Amino acid sequence: MDIPLAHYLILSGLLFSIGLAGVLIRKNIIVVFMCLEMMLSAANISLVAFSRANGVNGVPVYDAQILALFVVAIAAAEVAIGLALIVAMFRARRTVSSEALNTLKED
Amino acid sequence: MDPAISSILFYLFAAMALICACAVVFARNPVTSAMSMALCFAATAALLFGMGAQFLGIIQIIVYAGAILVLFLFVVMMLDIRTEEEDSSFSVFRSLIRMAPGALVAGVLSAMICIAAIKLPGAGDWQNPLCQVCDSMGELCIGQQEAAAAPQGQLPYGGALPRLNPEAAARVLNPAISDSEAAAATSIPDVKLLGQRLFSQYNIAFVILSFALLAGTVGAVALSRKIRKD
Repeated sequence: MDIPLAHYLILSGLLFSIGLAGVLIRKNIIVVFMCLEMMLSAANISLVAFSRANGVNGVPVYDAQILALFVVAIAAAEVAIGLALIVAMFRARRTVSSEALNTLKED
Repeated sequence: MDPAISSILFYLFAAMALICACAVVFARNPVTSAMSMALCFAATAALLFGMGAQFLGIIQIIVYAGAILVLFLFVVMMLDIRTEEEDSSFSVFRSLIRMAPGALVAGVLSAMICIAAIKLPGAGDWQNPLCQVCDSMGELCIGQQEAAAAPQGQLPYGGALPRLNPEAAARVLNPAISDSEAAAATSIPDVKLLGQRLFSQYNIAFVILSFALLAGTVGAVALSRKIRKD
């Protein structure tokens, strides 16, 4: 028995939702950032599954895999920038809690 | 590989990925989160290998589990963060109240995705890979053109993934290949096919991507530089 496309999509959706829950629940910005990375890699699973499902004559569609490759590369650049921002924030506020970022909030 | 073994491996690694993802969200110590994330990415890479995307699986391990994770661990250890400072007045009820909106949004989203995936036509069809089903429908196979031409709701789209076909892949890579050589192919030349597409059709996008990486590097250096006060 082969695995249906639907199961790959459900797995990818569940991983994405767990990542989203982490982004919404956690206060530690580093963990929020980790959850963002998990969401990106969950999206990659469904891209690759669709590349298999849409394949012509048993050969996957490689456009989708190239898109997944681009996602990985952009994720790497994003992590470099984001962690530099977190380090800068830690220098300024001595904390990484997202609740400390309330300068623009009305008192 | 035997399809039964590969489907057992799929469910094993899927469960591992989901459990590790939950551990990332609920671990109190960021180092534990980072380690669970490594396991989650390893399981994801195994799933990509199982789908026949060897190159992306290796990239997943090298870039995510190698580079990105080491960056995270480096920052976590450099900043020496205490676990979240709410332990003084910690109560299970208040933390549940705090988590409720996020968990609700994520639960609704996952339920919507699951329902949409299950309702795909042919989603329960475990036996017939897409190609065979289409053969029985009188078409050779689903290509993108055929999929666009077919009426909506007709294709068994959520069904089992089509089996990989090394012979056809060898022909795509080299149209002048002889029949015996094509028949002798045993595995999909994944990296060659991907590289061929990447460096011909998507070459400009690839170059632009390298500029994005360069901009990321320069930005990270500029952000983490100490600003002189004079």
